[in-house]
Amino acid sequence: MNFKRATTALFLDPSSIEEFSHDKSKKINIILSPSLYWVKKMSLPVKSVREVKKLLPSIFEDSLPEGHYSYTAYKNGEEFMLFAYEDKKILSLLTQKGISSADIASVHFAQSEFKELSSAFCINEKQCMYIKDELLVLAPSAWISEKEKLNLDDIKLSKHTIKLQQFGHIVDNSSLYKIGAILTLLAFILIVEIFITSSKKDAIIEAKEELFSKYKLQSTMFQNKSSLSKYSKVHERGVKFRESISYFLTLKLKSNQKIKLIEYKNNLLNVTIDGVDKASLNAINNQLNAKGVKYKSSLKGETMRVEMKI
Amino acid sequence: MNQINPLHIGALLVVVIAFLFFTLSGMKTEMVEESELYEKSEKLAVELSSLKAVYANKKKTKRAIDRILSQSSLKSASLEVKHEKSSVRISSKGMDTKALNSLMGKVLNGSYNITELKIKKLSETKASLRMEIKW
Repeated sequence: MNFKRATTALFLDPSSIEEFSHDKSKKINIILSPSLYWVKKMSLPVKSVREVKKLLPSIFEDSLPEGHYSYTAYKNGEEFMLFAYEDKKILSLLTQKGISSADIASVHFAQSEFKELSSAFCINEKQCMYIKDELLVLAPSAWISEKEKLNLDDIKLSKHTIKLQQFGHIVDNSSLYKIGAILTLLAFILIVEIFITSSKKDAIIEAKEELFSKYKLQSTMFQNKSSLSKYSKVHERGVKFRESISYFLTLKLKSNQKIKLIEYKNNLLNVTIDGVDKASLNAINNQLNAKGVKYKSSLKGETMRVEMKI
Repeated sequence: MNQINPLHIGALLVVVIAFLFFTLSGMKTEMVEESELYEKSEKLAVELSSLKAVYANKKKTKRAIDRILSQSSLKSASLEVKHEKSSVRISSKGMDTKALNSLMGKVLNGSYNITELKIKKLSETKASLRMEIKW
């Protein structure tokens, strides 16, 4: 099975009024009319076509009308053939002719395909082309007496082709590569950052698990919080109990006043002091008030009873 | 000669970058949350561990109380010591106040979970004691 579509040739000229109809099963080799490109033949002090291509915008700088041009070149003996063309203009013309990009097999310059023309050929109603000093030039038909009709049936195409940039007018290739490279670099940096962040997160999770085994914590934070709350209360109660005991042990009592009982149970501290009269009751209360503690006191006979919640 | 519109490639790259950015942003948030959780867990672990070492270490508490009770000043106090599963009860029907001061000074200055205490003055030099310490 042969999947390669057969080809046919088309001379593309903006002034041609000939209707173009083609077999959809065939791809088209486009030959650009000299009116669709600018050409220069030059001898340059460089060896490779690649080096020449870098110089092309500056070589054509002063000779082209305003527009968005693409450039190409090939070696012709000791000299170089230099070309400038507008992709958008050629593509618009192709669209007008009903030719889509998918139907195009290759695009050639007439210069490279008709460099050995022996006589002048008419390309439309008003213009003919002929070779002059190795360059294919256009001339009004009226100027040329001997002319032939262009026939592309047996043409053998050269290897000098170009690729039309469909979107070259939007952004040029170098800017496109630069933007693409920046965006790709940014994506790469983000991917690296994601990997770093992910490994940091994993390290934290691992450290947390180690923390649980190191401190012999229970499996859930809820259980651990509950244990912490339980032991914190024990600690706080212990501190408060000791503080409260110290309040009574540091009370300034009269010689006849003695602490008879200290009792602590169910978080209640009861202290009984003997030898307290009504006058000294206030003095003891004042001392306890000065400590800023909450308590209840009562006097029965000469026995003072103080109750304090721990 | 079909070509891909560079704007489509650019848009695809922008979408990919936006996706990566949101993924990264989400991961950073998760990492910060995990980090905060780790710090909280560490703080809790240190606090709980130190509190447990003081109040839930049965062996340590028993050893410390035995050391206090074995002091010469308390030998004549005829203290009754009753060990239970999660507590120790110390009592005396009548002990010298100096010995009581010595015992209480050491118990109150240590970190023991005293759940019950009763000190009753019997005379100028004697007092009764009942105390429960839990772990």
